[in-house]
Amino acid sequence: MKYKDYYQILGVPRDASEEDIKKAYRRLARKYHPDVSKERDAEERFKEISEAYEVLKDKEKRAAYDRLGQYRPGEEFRPPPDWAEQFVRGFGGGFAEGIDLSDLFGDLFGGGRRARTRGFAMPGEDYEAVVHLTLEEAARGTEVPLDLNVPEYDTEGMPRRVPRQIKVRIPKGVSDGQKLRVPGKGGPGINGGPPGALYLEIRLRPHPLFRPSGHDLYLEVPIAPWEAVLGATLEVPTLDGKVRLKIPAGARPGQKLRLAGKGLPKPGGGHGDLYAVLQIVTPATPTPRERELYEELARISAFDPRDRFAGRS
Amino acid sequence: MAADELLLSEFLYVSVSDVAAASGLSAEDIGELIELGALEPARHAGPELSLPAQAIEAARAIRQLQRDFELPLAGAALVLAYRERIRELEERVRLLECLVPEAARPR
Repeated sequence: MKYKDYYQILGVPRDASEEDIKKAYRRLARKYHPDVSKERDAEERFKEISEAYEVLKDKEKRAAYDRLGQYRPGEEFRPPPDWAEQFVRGFGGGFAEGIDLSDLFGDLFGGGRRARTRGFAMPGEDYEAVVHLTLEEAARGTEVPLDLNVPEYDTEGMPRRVPRQIKVRIPKGVSDGQKLRVPGKGGPGINGGPPGALYLEIRLRPHPLFRPSGHDLYLEVPIAPWEAVLGATLEVPTLDGKVRLKIPAGARPGQKLRLAGKGLPKPGGGHGDLYAVLQIVTPATPTPRERELYEELARISAFDPRDRFAGRS
Repeated sequence: MAADELLLSEFLYVSVSDVAAASGLSAEDIGELIELGALEPARHAGPELSLPAQAIEAARAIRQLQRDFELPLAGAALVLAYRERIRELEERVRLLECLVPEAARPR
């Protein structure tokens, strides 16, 4: 079992008062909570801080932790022989390899093994994971394999972390940031309780053409200056293949043209829309003939794009 | 609650007891959150009060905030409301970015 220095994690001395531990936790929770922190490892740090606080805020758990002794963080150790008997009544087994210190405290004190022996039915632990999908997978629905590292209990009821792969069906109609609840794919129930659920956060991978906003899609459509002035009918891509898009004469840059129902499917039925956002692009290197025509246009045109500047200094 | 996977969206509905069971909050807490305006019941009329499935996510977040910061229910609901506001603004920024040509977007 690897040692974790809960005092060091919270940045307090080993003789810190309950009040000092609470203050340290609140300060660090504010700093590393995944909802507010921009730090890359915020989620991991926050889990570590929460785990340390869960143990040190509780007199019984703190005493048990202190009796383990002091080691370097990450150093392999085994609890003293009488440790379990002293703190957990009825505990008789040895300590298996691969037990995580957090599993040990969570299980022995937090309602795991003790709850089992008392016979309370409890729902299993909920798991959370993030799944990355392409836009096409989100639109059509898919099945994804997920690799989880989950706690499992041996015949003596001791916890250990084991890799587990499960397959999850993602229904069509998910959008970026949405969550999916998959019942029964969390941890096993205790004493006949129901298994926990798996909560999946959906993240959409960037698409080379389409940008999603909820169930709507946005597509940047470059058009030539003469297409903007004269109007045109173009072929544009959608998730279901190409469609024809009519550009009205006098189109402006940034103008949005709606293709109704060509966005992502919605879970309750129907589809979002696809918006074609027009961008007027000019040829980087016009041919001599094109240049000639532009020069002629400049000579004969009365169009003044800056007429609103007139009369202002 | 449905035995199949459930997308926590505004388009699908669940009962108060479903939200309570999934979040670890009590049915009374869910009622209080509805009174506070933190959870909004479905508008359609029916014999039983129902909520959009995304209420499960909100209720779980409130429960988590309560645990993480030892907050009262109303305080956690307020934090969630601010978090939602930030999400809405981020979504608005994303939407505006969709309207700006890629070459012109700030890095």
